[in-house]
Amino acid sequence: MAKTLVIQPVTRIEGHAKITIKLDDAGEVDTARVNVIELRGFERFCIGRPVEDMPRITPRICGVCPWSHHLAAAKATDAVFGVTPPPAGRKLRELCNSIAYMEEHILHFYFLAGADFLLGPDADYSVRNVIGILQAAPEVATRVVKVRHMCAKMLEILAGKAIHPQAAVPGGFSKPLAAEERDRLRPMADEALELAKFTMAFAKESIFPKYLDVVKTLGVITTGFLGTVADDGALDLYDGKLRMMAPDGSYEDFPYDRYTDFIAEHVEPWSYLKFPYAKKWGAFSMDPDKPGGIYRTNTLARINVCDYIPTPLAQAELLEFRKAFGRPAQLTLLYHWARLIELLFNAENAVRLLADTEITSTETRVKVTPRATRGVGCVEAPRGTLIHDYTTDADGMLTNVNLIVGTTHNNAPINMSVTQAAKSLIHNGKYDQGMLNTVEMSIRAYDPCLSCATHGLNGKLAVRLDIVDSEGNLLDTLAN
Amino acid sequence: MSGLGAALHAGEADTLSAPQSGSASTDFTGDALLPEFCAKPTLILGCGNTLFGDDGFGCELVDYIEREYSVPEDVCLLDVGTGVRKLLFTLCISPARPQRILVLDALDVGRVAGEIMEIDPAEIPHVKLDDFSMHQIPTSNLLRELGTHCDVEVRVLACQNGPLPGEVRPGLSAEVRAALPAAAEWVAREYFTTDGQGEEGLSTQ
Repeated sequence: MAKTLVIQPVTRIEGHAKITIKLDDAGEVDTARVNVIELRGFERFCIGRPVEDMPRITPRICGVCPWSHHLAAAKATDAVFGVTPPPAGRKLRELCNSIAYMEEHILHFYFLAGADFLLGPDADYSVRNVIGILQAAPEVATRVVKVRHMCAKMLEILAGKAIHPQAAVPGGFSKPLAAEERDRLRPMADEALELAKFTMAFAKESIFPKYLDVVKTLGVITTGFLGTVADDGALDLYDGKLRMMAPDGSYEDFPYDRYTDFIAEHVEPWSYLKFPYAKKWGAFSMDPDKPGGIYRTNTLARINVCDYIPTPLAQAELLEFRKAFGRPAQLTLLYHWARLIELLFNAENAVRLLADTEITSTETRVKVTPRATRGVGCVEAPRGTLIHDYTTDADGMLTNVNLIVGTTHNNAPINMSVTQAAKSLIHNGKYDQGMLNTVEMSIRAYDPCLSCATHGLNGKLAVRLDIVDSEGNLLDTLAN
Repeated sequence: MSGLGAALHAGEADTLSAPQSGSASTDFTGDALLPEFCAKPTLILGCGNTLFGDDGFGCELVDYIEREYSVPEDVCLLDVGTGVRKLLFTLCISPARPQRILVLDALDVGRVAGEIMEIDPAEIPHVKLDDFSMHQIPTSNLLRELGTHCDVEVRVLACQNGPLPGEVRPGLSAEVRAALPAAAEWVAREYFTTDGQGEEGLSTQ
């Protein structure tokens, strides 16, 4: 009898999702679908509001990546007002972005993916928690927490409010950086760089070698990639042009305000979340053997699309990575490796920006005047390319808002990776808890942020595996 | 079980050996490097999403307290929105942390909308107790870990929310908004004075 397995939600990723694995009569995987919950109604809520409110409102969308929304919104308002922030304003924004990235990437590597890598995908649930990881790696945890402290402290110094930032404003950055503040920040950035170097070495020596077999097989799909590069092709997480790279490595660059010429959105009846795809690559298809228009974003995509990384240590790592895995690298679990290269880049970038004498200039913003126009802001969020697209009337009031978040870009690839992982792990209808956790690993590699709508202190959702037949009748339920 | 997990569980490794890189020390050099939420003895966290009606109770309460009360120097009062888990996670692994944490949040336990109650973290339903994520489930787990493993006094002041909107709609319901003054008074009595011990007007869960 045909069965359907449901895993709900995927644990240790931001937000929640439900995985449904449908088995055919022979017990082989027919389809796997990841159904995510979307933030609904936000665009409509924004209509009629002053556009300058957006950098303050959008961090409320998500407490996990508030800086990305804050900066994308600030850039979109720059575009609406037709202004360019002064160099110090831009550099302060970029510095905050790099620090926020470090916080995120450290958290993800050590603690979201950490339970998989430090404890093993089939470790008992009694140890798959924060304390379990601490006990497994106390020396590492001590270093990690110190830098997490400092990242939070650095954002406090730079921006005042780090959780719901308001420092980036239309036309620049509201708070100049005093020289004595910069002097306090420098040793913290140095320390963060040391942790980034340590983490890269630690992962290459103690973590990745143990999992190379899994890396080479789990969730592997072949797709194109989308990411931001500077004019000269360098990795840039704050600003630049978009590069759409085909699976064969050829690519096309375009300004991000022309994204609608290159990206279309497919709709599936079983998902609220749309499926963006590359318009120029033919019809949309999530068939792993014959994908159509599929591209990925997030760390691996950015590492693939850039020609080089403009900081020396990260560039050396990029060369080593490409020597081992080629360009574009396709193995899904390499997202973790790419994430660490980005961690190193951001740490180096923070040190570089703090050494720039221009960053303490008191000219951090320019005046703005409302006008009727459209403006697009784009940054690379930790989870992928983030696009804010605003249209205003002559008074600067919003008449249209469109957001494309990083996880949405990865919607189709996540589904394909889960299908691939499930097909490689489930045969003759046989499955166990460890296998299911491994399927979840193929999603966690993308570090998806699956909406930050409401939350529940009492955590009403549990991880649950429902086994139902093709008629939808419940045959069995497993829970963690 | 595979890889490092197997080694750890077989007792082959108590700690992970780490390659040395650079000269970073692991000493904590005092409050200068600590974010405010780790440095002060009392931490009060307003949680929720203000874009979704009553879900924003904790954030709105922080805002109300900031407007109506003088917050003592030794108290860190923060509107953490939906970012509380990152912060609690850092606190869990941090050697420097507050002595007392109060979480302000909305909760649906079938009471009358606007009812304020103190929740014992130990009595929050044990859903996925031993797993964690940074977003959906883990707040209760992290709070328990802070209380049981980290010797921190953890209390939760909750407000029964009304129906939550399915789409973005900021603003508290009239019932929950009306609860703000009493909730703020309770917080001030318990945390802003040295002799406040009362719990008048509160139910307990």
